[in-house]
Amino acid sequence: MNEVLGIIIAAIICWFNFVLIDTWMGLPENPGVKGAEVIGRAVKKRGGSLAGGFFQGNIVCSPDASAGTLLASVGSYAIGIPEGGLIAATLVYFGNRLCADPGYAGTTGALSITLIIYLTSMVGMKPEFYIVGMVLAIITIQGLAHPTASRLLGKLAQKMGRHTKMT
Amino acid sequence: MFMEILGIIIILMALRTLIAQDRAERMLYLNAMGFAISALIVLYIQTPFGAIMAITYFIASTLSSNAIAYSIGRVKKEILVK
Repeated sequence: MNEVLGIIIAAIICWFNFVLIDTWMGLPENPGVKGAEVIGRAVKKRGGSLAGGFFQGNIVCSPDASAGTLLASVGSYAIGIPEGGLIAATLVYFGNRLCADPGYAGTTGALSITLIIYLTSMVGMKPEFYIVGMVLAIITIQGLAHPTASRLLGKLAQKMGRHTKMT
Repeated sequence: MFMEILGIIIILMALRTLIAQDRAERMLYLNAMGFAISALIVLYIQTPFGAIMAITYFIASTLSSNAIAYSIGRVKKEILVK
């Protein structure tokens, strides 16, 4: 498959994989760890949404589905297609426990992207497309404009019934 | 081509980290850099040990980000060099 096309498709798949799993697991609802609350309130102060800020803070402060997506692609690339993703999921779970997080979002993200990589490898998508695609996907959330990204995440959280009740 | 894309992203994020005004904003750019560096490690060292290194690097970086973000809430004023 063409590399540029592969990276773009992988970026879109990764974006939906981690945003939907993280929102479903309640990342915008409350800051799972202490540091996430500080970052969420700082994003709100700059004109963003609090739920989106908590989402971004949770990504920074503990390995969530975004980290699971990247690390499972990394494992699939260098170790092998199903087993690398499973090793990555185990390590993400350890990382979650070290951060005092329940650890379901990270492992679910890692396992779901492993399944997606396994299925799409039959149509010619390589794991390295997912590695670069995931970096591009996280740039849209963490690297371009935080208030705008947080408002988008806040709207999505509201649609899925996961908006924060804190003020 | 993969490594060039990641390199450009790392440089852009590093520049944005330098010009950011808020400490919490800086943490978000550093996190995006952490994603790109961990991807760069595994694309450079194409062995199973490279994957373990990339995974360990990323998880350890989120652990330290958690500690730093927690302390941002406690420190009131940033100490600046004049």
